[in-house]
Amino acid sequence: MKRPSEEDIISRIDAFPNIPSAAAKILSLLDDPDTSAEQIGEILRYDPGLTANLLKLTNSSYFGLPSKVGSVNQALVLLGWKKLAQLILSACTTAVMAKPVPGYDLQPGELWRHSIAVSVVAEGLSRELGVTGVDEIFTAALLHDVGKLVLGDFIRDNTSSIDDESLREVSFEKVEQRLFGIDHAEIGARILSNWSFPETIITAVRWHHDPDAADPPNNLIDVVHIANVLCLMIGIGIGREGLQYTPSEAATRRLGLKGEQLEIVAAQAMGWVEELSESFSVHFEEEF
Amino acid sequence: MILRPARERVWRGRVKVQPMKQIVAVGDMKVGRDGDILVTHALGSCLGLVVYDPVAKVGGLLHAMLPLSRINLQKAESHPYMFVDRGVPLLFKAVYQMGGQKQRLIVKATGCGSPLGKNAMFKIGERNYKVLRKLLEKNNVALHAEDVGGTDSRTVHVDLSSGKTIIRIKEKRKEL
Repeated sequence: MKRPSEEDIISRIDAFPNIPSAAAKILSLLDDPDTSAEQIGEILRYDPGLTANLLKLTNSSYFGLPSKVGSVNQALVLLGWKKLAQLILSACTTAVMAKPVPGYDLQPGELWRHSIAVSVVAEGLSRELGVTGVDEIFTAALLHDVGKLVLGDFIRDNTSSIDDESLREVSFEKVEQRLFGIDHAEIGARILSNWSFPETIITAVRWHHDPDAADPPNNLIDVVHIANVLCLMIGIGIGREGLQYTPSEAATRRLGLKGEQLEIVAAQAMGWVEELSESFSVHFEEEF
Repeated sequence: MILRPARERVWRGRVKVQPMKQIVAVGDMKVGRDGDILVTHALGSCLGLVVYDPVAKVGGLLHAMLPLSRINLQKAESHPYMFVDRGVPLLFKAVYQMGGQKQRLIVKATGCGSPLGKNAMFKIGERNYKVLRKLLEKNNVALHAEDVGGTDSRTVHVDLSSGKTIIRIKEKRKEL
C-alpha cells in the first residue's frame, strides 16, 4: 500500500464535513457574555432535535441540577452562558464523534464513549486539583480525538508499517508523524480551526499528546492530556495502539498531581460516564 | 453474579447446545460452569484474572481497575470488583461456592499494562499486578500462567468447558 503524502491527508481535512450551522452561530457568540436567551432561542429554533438533545444533556444526573430544566431560558439562568454554549457545542458534535474509527480499531460508539469519558475525567481532575479558569475543558476534551476520524483510514491501509516492532517503544503520535508527516492531534486542531473554534480549544487538541510543546503550556492542555491517558488505561476507547503514549512528567509537576488523586478520579470515572451518556441521543452505526 | 448453565435449545428440529457468552465489564466479575464462555474486552492497565477448576468445570473472570480499595471506601462497597484487593478474594469465593476446590484451581493473569515512559504515577498496571501477587502468595495459591505488562490492549476469552483461555491482541490470538 502506497504511503499517503501529507497533501493527501490535508485534502481530507479540508473535505471533512462542516459543523451544523447552529454550532457555527454559537461559536460566533462565544465571547459575548451578554448573549441573551432570545439570541440562543433564535439559533435553536430551526433545530428542534438539537434543542431536545441540549435539554436532555442539561438534565442528565451528571450535572446534578436541582430541578428539571424545561427551556433554554432556564438552562441559561442555571448554567450561565459559558457552560450552556459548551453543552450546545457538545450536542452539535455528537453525531460526528459517534462514527466508527477504522485503523484505530474503535467500534461504533467507542470514540464517542472515550470522548465523553475524557470530558468528565478532565472535569473531575480539575475539581480534584482545584484548577480554575478552564471553562472550555469539556468541549476541548470532547473533541480532542476528532483527527482520528481522518487519519483512521490511512492507519488502516498501513497497519504493517504501524505494527513494526522497532516502533513499539515510540509514542504513537510520533509514529504517526514519522509515517504520515502529521499526527491525529494536529489534524484535529486543523479541523477545529476550519470550524472557527476558539484558539484555547484548538491548542488543547493540538498538544493533547505533547503538552510540553505548547507555547506556553497551560492547565487546560495538561489536564486533557492526563485525562486522555487515564481513560485509555482503564480501557475506555483503547484502540489498536493500546497504551503506546507517553504521559508527560512535566505536566504532572505543573499541575501538582499526585498518584492518589489519579486513582481517586479513576474510581469515579465509570459512574460519571454512565450518568452523562444516558442523556445523549446517539444512534451508532451497527456492524453487520 | 452466578450464571445459569448452558441450556439446550431446539433449533430447526435439532437440539443444539448454545453456550452462554457473558461479557465482563470493567470493574466487574462473572462466574459460570461447563458450557459457558466468559469474555472481557479492552484490558489496558486493568487486571484480568481467570480462575478455573478443571474437575468441577467451574470458573470465573475478574476485570479489576485499581490496586487498593482504600482510596474510595464507598466504591469499595458498591463496586468491589473495581479493586484488586477486594475483587480477587471475591472471585475465589464465588468459584468455591460453585463447587470449585482451592487445590485444583488453575489461575491465570493478564492485562496490567502501562503507558510508555518512566512516570511512576501511571504505572497502575504494575501496582495491580503487585497486589495480585501479594494476595496469591499470602493465600498459597500459585499463578499458572500470565501475559502481563506492555502497552497492548487485550481481550480475554475463557471457555469454561475446558478452561482454555485465549488472549487477543490486535488480530493475533494466543493461548494462555
